[in-house]
Amino acid sequence: MNLKFLVPVALAGLLAGCGSVLSPGHASHDFIVTGAAPDHLFVINPRTRKVVSDFTIPDAHDYVSVIVPSPNGKVAYVLVNRTRSIAGINLRTGKEVFRANLESPGERLTCMYAFDVTPDGKELIVYVYRTRLEIDQYKVQAPRFLIFSTAGGLHAKPLREFPAPRRVQMVLAKKDGRSFFAIGFNLYEYDLKTGRLIKRRGILDWHRPHHLRPDMLAFWPVTEPTGIFSSPVYSTLTGPGTPSGGVPETSLLTLNLHNGHLAYHDIGRTDALIFSTVIGPQRKWAYGAYTQLTKIKLDGAHWRVADRVNLPHTYYSVNISPNGKDVYVGGTMCDVIIYDARTMREKGDVRLPGCDDQATATLRVIERR
Amino acid sequence: MHWRVWSLISGGVAAVAVLLGTVGAAHAAMMPPAAARAGLAVVQAHCSACHRETAPGHFARISEERKSPEGWAMTIFRMENVHGVRLTQKQLRTILRYLSDVQGLAPSETRAGRFALERRPNHPILKLPYNLPVMCGRCHSLARVALTRQPASEWRKLINFHVGQFPFLEYQDGSRDIRWWKIASTQLPAKLAKLFPLHSAAWRQWRNRPRADLAGVWIVHGDMPGRGDYYGTALIRRRSWDRYRARYVLHYANGAAFNGSSDAIIYTGFQWRGTGTLGGKPVHEVYFAAANGSRIRGRWFLAGHSEIGGDWDAARTTGAPKVMAVIPSALEVGTRQRLILVGRGLRGGVDLGPGTKARILVRRPYGLILSVRVNAHAAPGYRTVRVGGVRSRDLLAVYRRVDHLEVEPAFAIARLGGGTLAPVDAQFQAIGYTNVLGAHGRVSAVRLGAMPVTWSVAPFNAEAAKRGDVRFAGTLRQDGLFVPAEGGPDSKRQFSADNTGDLYVVATRRTGKTAVVAKAHLIVTVQRWIKPPIY
Repeated sequence: MNLKFLVPVALAGLLAGCGSVLSPGHASHDFIVTGAAPDHLFVINPRTRKVVSDFTIPDAHDYVSVIVPSPNGKVAYVLVNRTRSIAGINLRTGKEVFRANLESPGERLTCMYAFDVTPDGKELIVYVYRTRLEIDQYKVQAPRFLIFSTAGGLHAKPLREFPAPRRVQMVLAKKDGRSFFAIGFNLYEYDLKTGRLIKRRGILDWHRPHHLRPDMLAFWPVTEPTGIFSSPVYSTLTGPGTPSGGVPETSLLTLNLHNGHLAYHDIGRTDALIFSTVIGPQRKWAYGAYTQLTKIKLDGAHWRVADRVNLPHTYYSVNISPNGKDVYVGGTMCDVIIYDARTMREKGDVRLPGCDDQATATLRVIERR
Repeated sequence: MHWRVWSLISGGVAAVAVLLGTVGAAHAAMMPPAAARAGLAVVQAHCSACHRETAPGHFARISEERKSPEGWAMTIFRMENVHGVRLTQKQLRTILRYLSDVQGLAPSETRAGRFALERRPNHPILKLPYNLPVMCGRCHSLARVALTRQPASEWRKLINFHVGQFPFLEYQDGSRDIRWWKIASTQLPAKLAKLFPLHSAAWRQWRNRPRADLAGVWIVHGDMPGRGDYYGTALIRRRSWDRYRARYVLHYANGAAFNGSSDAIIYTGFQWRGTGTLGGKPVHEVYFAAANGSRIRGRWFLAGHSEIGGDWDAARTTGAPKVMAVIPSALEVGTRQRLILVGRGLRGGVDLGPGTKARILVRRPYGLILSVRVNAHAAPGYRTVRVGGVRSRDLLAVYRRVDHLEVEPAFAIARLGGGTLAPVDAQFQAIGYTNVLGAHGRVSAVRLGAMPVTWSVAPFNAEAAKRGDVRFAGTLRQDGLFVPAEGGPDSKRQFSADNTGDLYVVATRRTGKTAVVAKAHLIVTVQRWIKPPIY
């Protein structure tokens, strides 16, 4: 089965380490970071359900999309300007500390929602489509990965460039800091320094018995708090016991950014769409959002939908508190709702002031001491 | 974009560039030399900075394409809005006419895509070979493709433009699971050039044909779904080599007036694009003249509501006698009715076959008005209409009862309104059929035309019932017009959903204790924000 619409989305970045990152004895609190058109970047305190910061992103041009926080949670890198610029905003002061306007003489560059920051916070890996603009025609060029230094300032230029495959929808830095993943037709792993292709594994051409060719549009690569990226994958189950034409099945793809382990688990018949998912810190539950909030039990090899509640409207993006007690849904319109992860009951909501539309803005969670 | 392009294409009151004094030369080729020179001069002045004139009158890219007037209007619109070309209204019209005439399409080359130019609602997308329905038909009706002629090199550039301008198309449903770019950039250009080449015998012949003069008195017949047949005359006067003014004296089937007027430009010698009024409402006309100028057919539609409109069929008052239409197209037994025979040269008595008696009430320029009695035992089925020596089959049927109905269209899409966008309505009509026993005991269904019915809506399935689509999606009027609700999140619906709906449209015709019922499927969906002249 296919998702009905192209819903561009947001991408992930990394938090300070992974779920077990908190050092004992140092109290830290999680904050939600999200954005909205025309040019807002919000920091939300989920405990008080208040917007604690409402920053203005310069030259966003009515477009705020993928948000990638730096590993120390101090800067948020935001895809703005209709996918032509990445702005780094200091999450304490709101000051723009980094700006990469994706441009090249005679070319139009577009970040296809896919970028990430390296675990040391020093580099941004940005996937771009390139089109050569000639006097009377456009010429499509091969896509590239551009590597920027996060210390590049407000006129950052790429340090390195590598050739890239087409139709990549997500870039995720591996936790060892040596390579990064790109998700497209396949799962590619590249050397961060040289751009050498290290490994390629099938995504579109997966080999799963009794599963037809899958469909996946993962632009919501939230990896906190576990360091595991997850995404729904839609396919059709065939084989003995299934009616002719098969049965629509939803699976969960997981990619462990610590060790590169890629896995698929069926979670049940596709009765409802899920746009994005997040894995809970104890790796016992996952949550997915769209018009419903879906709770998925991760029971050894057997994963299944355990609960599902209706949401007030469509939400594209889901995330979870570091302790796994609260689930956050956002994106699409102008509110973020907090749910009790155990009971799936609403605990509160946060309205975003001055918001035109969150649309594809990512919902990220950072931790502050 | 829609309205700007229309004011550019059609011969509305804002029209400026009328070139006079070249009528004589119009018969020599597609356009008179003075108009051709004026067009060429604008292209040289405003396009050649980027599209280099590689040979006299030959411009890079421009001269490698042929398109409809709407196609060229969209290109010019894009050049203005994306690439900063600045043209006066007069220059716009001059260039549009020039390109449509010298880089246009022959009549046969427009045939497959006319439905799109005519804005026919709920028309299925074109059936084109290869993987074009997936590669192009995901976004386009394919008429956009079928109304373009260019070599493989230009098709390739067009594909490059698509990805350069809309890079996310490779990520959309239907393309992200195939290697869209690889297929599009390697296989597709040659296939498209074979189907829709720049050079064709049809165009070579057509471009050298003299323009037909469309001035004269015309007999008009048409059908406006939801309102029924209309008929009358059109007086078309020539204002210049490519411009006409028309006055319409028309009537609905019941005789009520449906008058109008229009100003039109003829592109490529046969494509009538008019703007005017019909029945007091502003309309646009997309018509196509026959090569010899003996007939004009197409569709008109309301300005701002292209889904509402009617078929248009006009024939000259002079020519071989013929019946174009009979209004109404079916007579119930045991009745006496007024009947209109639309046609020309209708002299002599009228005979509608056994069991009928026809009396000519009055002769009009567009045909005859009759009083017809059909006795209770007249045989049902199609009747041959005889007027003097003219015989016409399948234009009139006699029926005893309506055996079944069909709702047309069987599948329709309506779109929610709201904000700056008007809703897209859906017009339905119920077509009656009677069963007739023929030779060898075979029963055939005879089409009787649109029938008065009672209209209602019902949920299409259990999901639609659960969502309450009937309550939220809009209103079906008793003339078969579905008017969608307002768009946007509706807090009264589950998930604050839009007022979309999945509905059955139900037509019920009751006669005594019996009822004949038919259904159509209606999807009420979200707004279409991009409204180009050709999808």
